[in-house]
Amino acid sequence: MRLLVFLSFAFFSGLSFTAGEYKCGSIECYEFSPDTKDKESLQRGLSAYMNYCYGCHSLKYSRYKRVAEDLAIPLDIYEQNLIFDGSKIGDLMHISLQESKAIELLGAKPPDLTLEARLRSPEWIYTYLDTFYEDSSRPYGVNNKVYVNVSMPHVLEDIQSELSVEEYDRYIADITNFLTYVSDPSAETRKQLGIYVILFLLIFTAFAYLVYREFKKDLK
Amino acid sequence: MTTETRAKKFLGWVDFRFPLTEVFERHLSKYPAPTNLNIWYLFGFLLIVVLAMQIVTGLWLMMNYTNSAEEAFSSVEYIMRDVEYGWLIRYMHAAGASAFFALIYLHMFRGMMYGSYQKPRELIWLGGWFTYLILMAEGFTGYVLPWGQMSFWAAQVIISLFSSIPVVGEDLATWIRGDYLVSGITLSRLFAFHVVLLPILLIAIVFFHILALHEIGSNNPDGIDVKKHLDEDGVPLDTKPFFPYDISHDIFALGVFLIIFCSVVFFFPTGGGYIIEYVNYEPANPLSTPAHIVPSWYYTPFYAMLRAVDFPLFGLTAKFLGFATMMAAVAIFAVLPWLDRSPVKSIKYKGILSKIFLGIFVVSFFALCYLGMVPPTEIKALLSKIFTVGYFSYFLLMPIYTRLEKCKPVPERVADA
Repeated sequence: MRLLVFLSFAFFSGLSFTAGEYKCGSIECYEFSPDTKDKESLQRGLSAYMNYCYGCHSLKYSRYKRVAEDLAIPLDIYEQNLIFDGSKIGDLMHISLQESKAIELLGAKPPDLTLEARLRSPEWIYTYLDTFYEDSSRPYGVNNKVYVNVSMPHVLEDIQSELSVEEYDRYIADITNFLTYVSDPSAETRKQLGIYVILFLLIFTAFAYLVYREFKKDLK
Repeated sequence: MTTETRAKKFLGWVDFRFPLTEVFERHLSKYPAPTNLNIWYLFGFLLIVVLAMQIVTGLWLMMNYTNSAEEAFSSVEYIMRDVEYGWLIRYMHAAGASAFFALIYLHMFRGMMYGSYQKPRELIWLGGWFTYLILMAEGFTGYVLPWGQMSFWAAQVIISLFSSIPVVGEDLATWIRGDYLVSGITLSRLFAFHVVLLPILLIAIVFFHILALHEIGSNNPDGIDVKKHLDEDGVPLDTKPFFPYDISHDIFALGVFLIIFCSVVFFFPTGGGYIIEYVNYEPANPLSTPAHIVPSWYYTPFYAMLRAVDFPLFGLTAKFLGFATMMAAVAIFAVLPWLDRSPVKSIKYKGILSKIFLGIFVVSFFALCYLGMVPPTEIKALLSKIFTVGYFSYFLLMPIYTRLEKCKPVPERVADA
């Protein structure tokens, strides 16, 4: 009986972590593990995002100030260089592109990307940015292996042609790191706090065990 | 007067007017718990802790959550980003829901294993079963509130199940939704249920469950009736007072539970998509259906049964039969005390047939849990049918196999076990 229960648990726990993976459209995702501790990478990613993506893709659940503080960018420098529409530093990161205009230009509304890294996974974003290819049948002359028949043009085309393969890989890794950060900005704080919480609980449980053992002796 | 005598005097004043000391001793400090309780007896205490945690975190979430279709999704992100420690409160509440179900399943299994539902504990079992029902409703209504894609489509699928009921179905589903499709109206009523109606019912029924338990006393792994042998004060000999013996045990267990729970909350808050599904990071969109609509893991055994019944019968649609099967799978727990005809309580003293059927039940439950998570294939549909039969055979054949088998004699005292 016990063995049966144990086996069922083992069966179940083994399965539960194999599902839930996101495949990258027509291909397997490239290997990529995001690093949200690398502040410089996040800053480069932010700058690239603001210049090449933010025209169409808002980050409307995030605030400018939070990003500036988390990425250790002085507020005045941030305000001067990375806020384009006169928004206040405490505002949410909305864009000025109107939905009707976007549909007119692109045929679809560009999605907000605040939570993209959680919705689709960092690997997906990284692979997506790396797999644009020429396809004359598409309106913008490009197609994508991850998001087949995507409406988006290859906005990083110029960058990709200027940079070497390694440099471009780093460039899109920076953007992916930034999007991973912005999808879950408290992640680093959470993990740091978690260590202290677990340490406290280990000590608490050790003492609780000693108390339990002491009372258990009475019952013998 | 010293502080101690003052405190005693005050307590005397209260006791004269309200049975404070008596209630405290009866339900906590002196509650006699059998000496042979094992690890399976921890989950009731942990469930109370999780219930308290859900109420407290829920209260704080409610302070910043907005229950409208336009604002719900962004208010959750507001909690995650702008509210101080909002992320912690929300992750605790989300992981708390999964913990609640994991613990209640273990707690129910304990009852099934040791026959804790048998006479005279039928009402305790029914109270627990009702708690489980309300918890399922709590889990469902709570899941809808973040108003992501999975929230919306899960609500759409679940509520549309009611439309399969012959004659009144369509009207009933519309009445539940308050609209022809799941909408902001549905969201705000599910919110009202989630934060007011269901928690009140839950607390009331848990109170009933514990009161009934403390009247009868706890069962034990050997199913020995400890009340047969009392000491000169009328306290069962094979018991020990809750304080300090059980509480020290429970607090140690709480520490272990919290280590596991906090590891999830702080390091794996989405639980690989099992606690918070990735699809739910996209706001609800009535115009685009997600590729796979999957309920939370704690409902998947029943979801698998819903899908397993894919054939019409006696003029009833497959959808309705599946819905009825799913409902029956939950409801059948309620009649368990009357299905078991065994003279002994615990699985330890029951015969081989009871052991086999309980084993079949456990395997079926986990297999259905898995089958409900994955996209259906032909072979998986067949497996779902087989395990659905396995699940029900434990219950429906119980009156037969518990009478057929030969049981071992139950010892008089714990020491003889």
